[in-house]
Amino acid sequence: MKILVPLKRVADPDNANKIKVTAGKIETTGLEWKPNPFDEYAVETALRLTEDAATPKARKGEVVVVSFGPKEVDTTLRSALATGADKAIRIDTTDDAIDGDLLARALKALVEKEKPDLVLLGKQQVEGDSNQVGQLLAEYLGWPQATFAGSIVSEADKSLVVSREVDGGSLKVRVTLPAVVSVDLRIVNPKGVQSVFTKAGHNYPEGVRFAALMAIMAAKKKPLTEVKLADLVSDPTLKVKTGAAELPPSRKAGIKVKTVQELVAKLKTEAKVL
Amino acid sequence: MSLTTEGRERLLREFPGDLLSDAPEDLRDYGRDWTRVVDPAPCLVARPRSTEEVSRLLSLCNELRLPVVPSGGRTGLAGGAMAAHGELVLSLERMRRMDPVDVLGATVRVQAGTVTEAVHAHAAEHGLTWPVDFASKGSSQVGGNLATNAGGVNVVRYGLTRQWVLGLEVVLATGQVLELGGALEKNNTGIDLRQLFIGSEGILGVITEATLKLTRLPERLDVLLFALGSLSDVLRLFREARTSGLVLSAYEFFTDLCVARLLRHRRLRSPFAEEHPFYVLVEVEGADAQHLERWTSSLFGIVCDGVLAQHASQARELWELREGISESLSSTGLPHKNDVALPIASLEAFCTDLTELFARRYPDWEVVLFGHIGDGNLHINVMKPDGLDKEAFLARTKEADHELFALVQKHRGSISAEHGIGILKKPYLGYTRSPEELRLMRALKGVFDPHGILNPGKVVDA
Repeated sequence: MKILVPLKRVADPDNANKIKVTAGKIETTGLEWKPNPFDEYAVETALRLTEDAATPKARKGEVVVVSFGPKEVDTTLRSALATGADKAIRIDTTDDAIDGDLLARALKALVEKEKPDLVLLGKQQVEGDSNQVGQLLAEYLGWPQATFAGSIVSEADKSLVVSREVDGGSLKVRVTLPAVVSVDLRIVNPKGVQSVFTKAGHNYPEGVRFAALMAIMAAKKKPLTEVKLADLVSDPTLKVKTGAAELPPSRKAGIKVKTVQELVAKLKTEAKVL
Repeated sequence: MSLTTEGRERLLREFPGDLLSDAPEDLRDYGRDWTRVVDPAPCLVARPRSTEEVSRLLSLCNELRLPVVPSGGRTGLAGGAMAAHGELVLSLERMRRMDPVDVLGATVRVQAGTVTEAVHAHAAEHGLTWPVDFASKGSSQVGGNLATNAGGVNVVRYGLTRQWVLGLEVVLATGQVLELGGALEKNNTGIDLRQLFIGSEGILGVITEATLKLTRLPERLDVLLFALGSLSDVLRLFREARTSGLVLSAYEFFTDLCVARLLRHRRLRSPFAEEHPFYVLVEVEGADAQHLERWTSSLFGIVCDGVLAQHASQARELWELREGISESLSSTGLPHKNDVALPIASLEAFCTDLTELFARRYPDWEVVLFGHIGDGNLHINVMKPDGLDKEAFLARTKEADHELFALVQKHRGSISAEHGIGILKKPYLGYTRSPEELRLMRALKGVFDPHGILNPGKVVDA
């Protein structure tokens, strides 16, 4: 099975440097980055689907990771290669030149070139929380889709049984490949993914795998190619227009009250909640 | 001497109503630290707001001959903050003022009750830090760190707390307030009294304020975890790390038994598919990616496996495996803790002797090792066997400690690397300190605290 996984880097929410906004734009210099967590789960899912957990080094399929962004994004792609992906593609662009629709159109063109059996992606990226790309891509490709996958059981290269996270439970669907599947948090549970290669009942460690030192070195030799955005889409028009960014207003400092009576009085007269 | 009714009345009369408490939960909570070997039983808890109040309080306690236990975040592991004999607990927690950071001098003046982590956050706003760092930084206080000369995970890079203090304000048992050292980096003017108080565990005086020395925040940190097959490989890897030219900010070691306890207690995971007997966490500062890579690729004859954190969240996850150990041991059983230091060159021989000792004398005990091996500091934790009751276990550990410390003495080590002496290690101090040293310590105690009211029963007897 060949799997394409779009992967985006996002600002680490635990950044030591606080995010600054200047003239309506978010300043990204000096920020620390990490892969979008849901995308990391998608990479982990792709690796689990293409291996026998007993011998993970012998890959039994191909995982291609793709990311949109400037040269620095290569670091994120190399990390994915170090965990076991086979090849990486960087579509050269910048964050302000893309939106969900353009991403989906570019990915469609890439899918037509790479011909994967499955596109696996995170349900959303944690910066914009738009939750669009997977759905748009399935529509543009005319492929079946299964969103918010909490578990996946692979049925050879023919189909996947996807348990979707829905309100109050889960909904099982069978999608015939090729298909688009977006993954949710629970997919990286010990039994979240069942591939045809791994013995049934295998327990993975929860979460995504670490990059072994050997593999980090081996990843240097894996192919990482750069593609111009214009080579994939002729029309770079965006559907989403970004206005100005601004930081949330800082909270007013609190006050200390001396007595319960004073507190009750303030709740009544100032906060007006009693 | 215990508190008389008269004494209690004077204390209550001379201090504001909310300064003293004898509520049972306060007596319990303020009367104990992280050790659980003796039961807390103080007579009162005092929480002064200023040096002036500390001074008046000590002066009165001195007059009443009422023993006083100075108290910080009470995260100690040697019983140094235990109050089990009707003492007054003097908590500094209300004294947590931090002055503005002196950016040019890289110093900050803080009160003793300031929480360690708050100092970090305060200094970080100016790109600076106080490089005293350990797992309990969210509760431990500056005064306690200083009084115990706390160690932690960055000692291999920055040294002990002692090296990061420029000045102290100390209140003596008589109530006299001393200002020692100020904010001077250089001050060669006779005996450095300040250093006597640092690490003295509150038996000479009560630290109320300190001028801390700061340093720039570390650059990018890379965190690696290695799996190794033997202790000699752990030490070989340390040699390689020391000579690599990389700036080493931590070199921490733990064993498979630590990981097993950790995974039983918490939802953590090992980054390795297979189990290995030894693990080492290495943190390097500001490394050039190629330099780091050249170094790691040279290690495959030594290490079985290794991972490099790819981003900050993964680095935190690897650190959890080390920092969570202590808590997991306490949550999955009753550990008897020892914290010894050895000359690094003797570590391997010591560990061979240690393994032999426990296999011969205490074959059913689970011995869990971890520590700051870059500093020659080994935490030796013995877990209570399920079949043995607590009292019997504690009695046997006392006997085992004598054998263990005889080994430490043989290899010219220290019976307490960073936890201090408190009450738990006091009977064994003679394994590391000579009778002459102990006599001088007692003499000093007599000079500073003639009536012996400060933290009596801890470290040395008056």
